Amino acid sequence: MRIHGLMAGLVLLSGSALAGDLGLPEVPIPVDNPQTPEKVALGDRLFHDTRFSTTGEVSCSTCHDAPTGWTDSPKVVSEGIGGKTGTRNSPTVLNAAFNKSQFWDGRSPSLEDQSQHPFINPVEMGLADHEPILAVVRDDAEYGEQFNKAFGVATEGITMDHVQKAIAAFERTVVSGNSPFDRWFFGGEADALNAQEQEGYRLFITKGRCVSCHVIEQTSATFTDHRFHNIGVGINRIQDDIAPLAHAFMKADATVEEVDVAVLTDPRSSELGRFAVTRDLDEMGNFKTPTLRNVSLTAPYMHDGSIETLPKVIEHYNNGGVTSEGDPVNDFLSGGIRPLDLSDEEQAALVAFLEALTSPVIPTSSTK
Amino acid sequence: MTKTSRFVAALALCGALFAGSALADEFTDNDVDHWMGEFKATADKGRALWVDGTLGSNGVACAQCHPNAANTHPETYPKYQKQLGRVVTIGEMINWCIQNPLEGEEMKLDDPRIVAMQAYVNFERRGVEMSPGKH
Amino acid sequence: MRTNDPSRRGLIRGAGALMATLPLTQVKLAFGGQRQDINIAYISDSHIQHIKGNEFVRNWDRGLIRAVAETNLLLPKPDFVVFGGDLAQLGTKPELDHGAEILSALNADVKYVMGEHDYYLDLGAYWSELFGPQHYSWNHKGVHFVVLNSILTHKEWTFDRWPTAEQRMLEMAGLDNPNGSPFMVGAKQRKWLERDLKKVTDDTPVVVFSHSPIQKIFKHWNFWTDDADEVQALLGRFHSANVIYGHVHQIQYNRIGNIHFHSVMATAWPWPYPQSYAQAESHLPVVTVPMNRADPFHERDATGWQLIDVHTGRPTLSYKLANNTNRTVGPDPATGMPHDFDFQERQISAQDHY
Repeated sequence: MRIHGLMAGLVLLSGSALAGDLGLPEVPIPVDNPQTPEKVALGDRLFHDTRFSTTGEVSCSTCHDAPTGWTDSPKVVSEGIGGKTGTRNSPTVLNAAFNKSQFWDGRSPSLEDQSQHPFINPVEMGLADHEPILAVVRDDAEYGEQFNKAFGVATEGITMDHVQKAIAAFERTVVSGNSPFDRWFFGGEADALNAQEQEGYRLFITKGRCVSCHVIEQTSATFTDHRFHNIGVGINRIQDDIAPLAHAFMKADATVEEVDVAVLTDPRSSELGRFAVTRDLDEMGNFKTPTLRNVSLTAPYMHDGSIETLPKVIEHYNNGGVTSEGDPVNDFLSGGIRPLDLSDEEQAALVAFLEALTSPVIPTSSTK
Repeated sequence: MTKTSRFVAALALCGALFAGSALADEFTDNDVDHWMGEFKATADKGRALWVDGTLGSNGVACAQCHPNAANTHPETYPKYQKQLGRVVTIGEMINWCIQNPLEGEEMKLDDPRIVAMQAYVNFERRGVEMSPGKH
Repeated sequence: MRTNDPSRRGLIRGAGALMATLPLTQVKLAFGGQRQDINIAYISDSHIQHIKGNEFVRNWDRGLIRAVAETNLLLPKPDFVVFGGDLAQLGTKPELDHGAEILSALNADVKYVMGEHDYYLDLGAYWSELFGPQHYSWNHKGVHFVVLNSILTHKEWTFDRWPTAEQRMLEMAGLDNPNGSPFMVGAKQRKWLERDLKKVTDDTPVVVFSHSPIQKIFKHWNFWTDDADEVQALLGRFHSANVIYGHVHQIQYNRIGNIHFHSVMATAWPWPYPQSYAQAESHLPVVTVPMNRADPFHERDATGWQLIDVHTGRPTLSYKLANNTNRTVGPDPATGMPHDFDFQERQISAQDHY
């Protein structure tokens, strides 16, 4: 079914959710945090509030900003208070609602849980604990009204649980599909992709070996398997030190908060990936498969922002999980990664396909 | 068929009609045995391909992971195959295995070798109930 | 399949602590007396396969490399590492050399068990050059360990049936090859075992490392030891006799009399369970809970290695399965049977459609 270009624009302007969501599965909504407009508006405001940092300059939107694909592209790693840098590239909030865990190493099981951690991380917002946040919202009359409307709670009764739920509810509205790929694959528009992009799709599901981790299904596509893999990024830097770094975590029996601090402040430990969270040797250097939707808006790439462009990403995979062809592969490389033997043309087609995953309409915020 | 042989066939048909016997798809026990033999010959070729390790580029044979074609579940196809992201036939999955663990080149789906392997796989799985779509 | 759900992290953390940070403790045995911890890392069935020149099948190489790298990270270090057999695929010198090279990175004492893929090209001549005797025993911390060469077969098949050594190796290499021949320990080695065990008291735990199962499980695929009954009889008088075997590339466990049997995983590839072959009867041990099926895209799925803890006198196996759910099988104090501790925790649907 062909939708005339102009008509497609009209459908979008009219705010039809359906047109914007083509290719997306239903947004999973937890039973204990149903979506309401009041909650979403409150979450939007909290998300953009810089008072929840020691310098009064950093909010969630500092690193997850709508105009830059809900990341801080082109920053390699994010910058928090006073320009302090962490070790990880900012993952996008756009379509994060579909992730089954949050953070590159999956140490958080939900959007609600994730939202509490950056506030108290020394290189992000730097607060010692969550009390300053509660002090601000309890003091602010407008917040008081918003929390009351959203949760039926009086000012003294506002807790971090409410804050987290509101932020998560807002993030669940930051979803977008309807890319040229979605229109071609799910919408049946035969010329929504050109020949090169279609060839890119074909390679994506065959020689490129992409689809097993960056999942496309028969009725929707999240482009992630929600699992964790070592694809040879970053870990090569610490190959000789894996034993002492790993042993430090194995002996320490760290809490989630301690892991949160360690992996963002120590660039070497950061490369242990999910191993730092589970201390399972099978997860050495593993990081979460991110979505590929809107990937052309979120350069640079990978958990450490170490790969600058999409062609370089394809090259990394083509080399079988090393930056330069012929480099030694790390011992813990995931079994799905191996040299691909793609021609230059084939690599270009894959890049073209990835660029066709960009949604025409990116949700913005009503808060500045 | 050539023009002449078509003419001959038409004549034969008329002759049969005149003879007054029923046509339809009549076959004898001998026919059944014979055609099963034709099938077995193909399945045997499939078995040979299954074990010889020359389908790919690294010497790995299908039989190394699938002795007696075990764990191929031909009775579940077509089905959603997550390695391919869509609903496929077993021939397409055979191609996936040739390209991936065997590091070889895919074949056309009507290639006699693909057909032979399907014959072998199905033969080793004879008697098992059909469960299309089952993971 | 692996559960990556961090809400189960508490469980995972606990299991991780068990696997990676086993403390050294003195434990009283049910039989009386005290025993120290014995931790053994067991790596098996790597099937290093030569293509040509300096090229080997990458998939199998990666499996062995990973097992070695993970083993080297263990805390505390294992007492020793066992290699469980089938280092090579066709027993050639390049394969055995390449496998030995990868294993040389292990920073622990290694004991070697031979498999049929190592043996049938030259009857273990090069293997013995590299790794020593094909059967032997030793004592460690009050436990008697035995390595058997359990993949021998009838003299006629071994010496007279095949025109070349290469042919013989190829015939034995095919699991489902109708021209194969059943494994056995053989009369000569059984006599050696009887003499060896004479010096061992009934209450000493005995652990036998073997390639074939010392049971009769599935003759069709040579999951079989022809003289299993005779060997089991020799082990019968011990309060705690245990057999650890490779060859099957899947999780199996069983108890016959007082003997606990445990299979180990392959680092190379997993095999289907025998009941998945519709045309032949199989006798998989009833107690065995099958491992999860593999996703063939993830090359290490349903492959792995295992950490064996013998501190109770009975082995507990922690199966480290990359890309699949780790499993722990050990003695259930209530029933005395080997038992899968994780089974009850599984929150995934049955994966037993092989």
